[in-house]
Amino acid sequence: MSKSFSAPATSAPLPQAQGVSAEQLHSVENLLDDPAEWPAFGRPVESAGEGNHWESHLVIEGMHCATCALTIEDALRAVPGIAQVDVSAATQRARVVWAADATRPSQWLNAVRKAGYRALPAVDEAARAQRVRENRRALWRLLVAGFCMMQVMMYAWPAYIAQPGDLSVEMESLLRWASWVITLPVVLFACGPFFSSALADVCHRRISMDLPVALGMAITFGVSTLGTFQPEGLFGREVYYDSLTMFVFFLLTGRWLELRLRERTAGALEAVMNRLPDSIERRSGDGSFVRVPVRRLAVGDVVRVLPGEAFPSDGRLTAGSSRVDEALLTGESAPRWRTVGASVCAGSINLEAAVEMEVVRLGADTRFGEIVALMESASLQKPRLAQLADRVARPFLIFVLLAALAALLWWWPRDPQHALMVAVSVLIVTCPCALSLATPVAMLSAAGALAREGVLVRNLQALETLAGVDTVVFDKTGTLTLDRMVLRHTEATGGLSPSTALELAAALARHSLHPVSRELVAAAEQALPQGAPSWDVSEVVEIPGRGLSAQVRTISGTGPVRTLLLGSAEHVGVALPERDCVQVCMGWAEDVVSRRVSARFELDEQLRGDAEISLRALAHAGIAVQILSGDRSASVGRVARRAGIANWRGDCTPADKLAALCALQANGHRVAMVGDGLNDGPVLAAAHVSFAFGSAVPLARLRSDFVMLGGQLRLIAQSIVLARKTLRVVRQNLWWAAGYNALCVPLAIAGWMPAWLAGLGMATSSLLVVLNAARLARAMPPLAPLVEAQAQCTSLVHAPMRA
Amino acid sequence: MDILYVLIPLSVGLVLLVLLGLWWAVYRGQFENIDQEAERILREN
Repeated sequence: MSKSFSAPATSAPLPQAQGVSAEQLHSVENLLDDPAEWPAFGRPVESAGEGNHWESHLVIEGMHCATCALTIEDALRAVPGIAQVDVSAATQRARVVWAADATRPSQWLNAVRKAGYRALPAVDEAARAQRVRENRRALWRLLVAGFCMMQVMMYAWPAYIAQPGDLSVEMESLLRWASWVITLPVVLFACGPFFSSALADVCHRRISMDLPVALGMAITFGVSTLGTFQPEGLFGREVYYDSLTMFVFFLLTGRWLELRLRERTAGALEAVMNRLPDSIERRSGDGSFVRVPVRRLAVGDVVRVLPGEAFPSDGRLTAGSSRVDEALLTGESAPRWRTVGASVCAGSINLEAAVEMEVVRLGADTRFGEIVALMESASLQKPRLAQLADRVARPFLIFVLLAALAALLWWWPRDPQHALMVAVSVLIVTCPCALSLATPVAMLSAAGALAREGVLVRNLQALETLAGVDTVVFDKTGTLTLDRMVLRHTEATGGLSPSTALELAAALARHSLHPVSRELVAAAEQALPQGAPSWDVSEVVEIPGRGLSAQVRTISGTGPVRTLLLGSAEHVGVALPERDCVQVCMGWAEDVVSRRVSARFELDEQLRGDAEISLRALAHAGIAVQILSGDRSASVGRVARRAGIANWRGDCTPADKLAALCALQANGHRVAMVGDGLNDGPVLAAAHVSFAFGSAVPLARLRSDFVMLGGQLRLIAQSIVLARKTLRVVRQNLWWAAGYNALCVPLAIAGWMPAWLAGLGMATSSLLVVLNAARLARAMPPLAPLVEAQAQCTSLVHAPMRA
Repeated sequence: MDILYVLIPLSVGLVLLVLLGLWWAVYRGQFENIDQEAERILREN
């Protein structure tokens, strides 16, 4: 980054400043006219005699096809002072070369907007340019190897088909010369990465994949060169240019495809990380909004977020309301309604209307920052199976080198040249990279698929453990239920109709923030027609833990003023029969003596919408479900009965939970714990695997292996199914890699494997492993078929289910 | 058959020329954005 970044904004004199319209003043781009910002998304171009030119890079939004790119190019070219424009539809990027003394970024950015698109300065241009350079070089190497391979094949052809005497000695040596010349670029250029990495290994006294491969290449080329120039020498007159170019081509093809595949997954992660906007409208001292770069924001600033923009930081809405897409942060695809006072997260997208927001947390402290940090750290971990594979890979490579040497010595007395080529085959056919890739590629694909659904994997190793889980313990009833209660039943006595009772109760409850009150108000708003209030409520008093009382009269003022009580049974002064839910009573104060109640409301926790299907899916996967909760037994039992969980305990202290967990584990169960991740640290730590519902908690404080960003219960069952699938893929990969090497290395030692086949085998082997893992990234396993299958099974056979 | 003694070295030179062309193509980005260039011909200007 350039140093001028941190320099305070200096207002440069604007050329044609009088032409700036009011619309432009409000526009996204004006702050980019500040020369201090230019280095962030471009660089000055030195072109002779053309004055002060800048090259800037943009990200264009709203492009659908190649035609759009051309439209934008035309729009930009029409702006005076623009020297050069390239818009790429594939990468959604644009490159603009413009004269700083003839135009300003706001003018040409405005031209893009008038054409119907949105342009943002591209700050990650350097990293992207680097990637483009690497891609081009990889492609270029592949093309050199491929094209030379074809040509060498043509020169080799006559030698294969010629009968003795058909080919004159001069002609044969000419063909060999030609092959040698064409092979030279392949060895010197296309094989470059293999040789340089092998050389680095030798310098650092370590061993890696590329060492045997580079050795094989060097030996083949050396033998063939000697065969060409010294046909009477030790290694005879045989040449192997065709084999050499062919296996180099196969290896490079394999690498190139692997690079493309990996880039696609890395690209998805990058898309998540680049979600924050570059600039945002901040309210300045005089109350007007000025666009500033996000990195200049401070806590306490008020910013305006326009529809379509992402929120730059965590904050609280101070004006306006809008629908917000939080899919990235919660995995929940339905947009949420956010009004004044509601908090919003950085990285979520404002969908409907412009809102103002006060900045509360910035940068790495935001929930978005935490998620990104978590994803980054998890992607750097090495799970146990991968460590194992890496530990095996090293001795395996040494074994390969020794085996090649042994094969060489064994065949040498009979035929030195054949001996060398056998050794080459052994060196090339081995593929420890398939072994090293097998586990991490699969686990990262699975973690990526989970992250897209709103489940963060903090610990890749946990995926392996999760696959073996046979018991899920919910440590809070709150994970199974919604965090609000639902009015189930209204019973009105004493001359009130149920709807009047509800209306009265809501009129009182409006003055309280107790969850029960809020639910009564919500139920009233839902059930009753919205009209003018028919009750006049005054002097509301709330007695914490008991209820409300207030003076009530009809709004027309005709009736008498009476005191109404709303709350628990003792608050209203009545005794109620025990019920399986929360009961709220309402009664007139003058009736307290007679212990009469005017209305009774039954409220209840409500299971999450996907609780039933999730529990059935868990049962189908052969997983037992329990509740161990610290909540009161009565409410735990209620939730357990409704959810159909037979095995539950309430009133647990953390020590009780720990003891119960250890008992389960002592019986050989593998337990996944689902909690809120905060209070039960020791319990979560003792479980084999833990899930935390972390919707309102700083992620860094969660002590769990998986973090559920949204409240979707079904993801637990899906994660377990995906983990099992992942482990299956890992095992397939490991078996494939081990089997391949176990079969091919002896074949090569026995001399039955030509070098070109060895190259093909190795490239295919590692490609298969990556492709197999890529299956996991596609989608989460859907729940519906699982559960349907179970329904069929249970209706047909009444046998105990097993997965 | 003697012509082969000319043709084979010629083919080597040709291969190197073609490689040069490929190099130009790769580094000019000819293999990126293939759709867009096909559209360009359909535009009026």
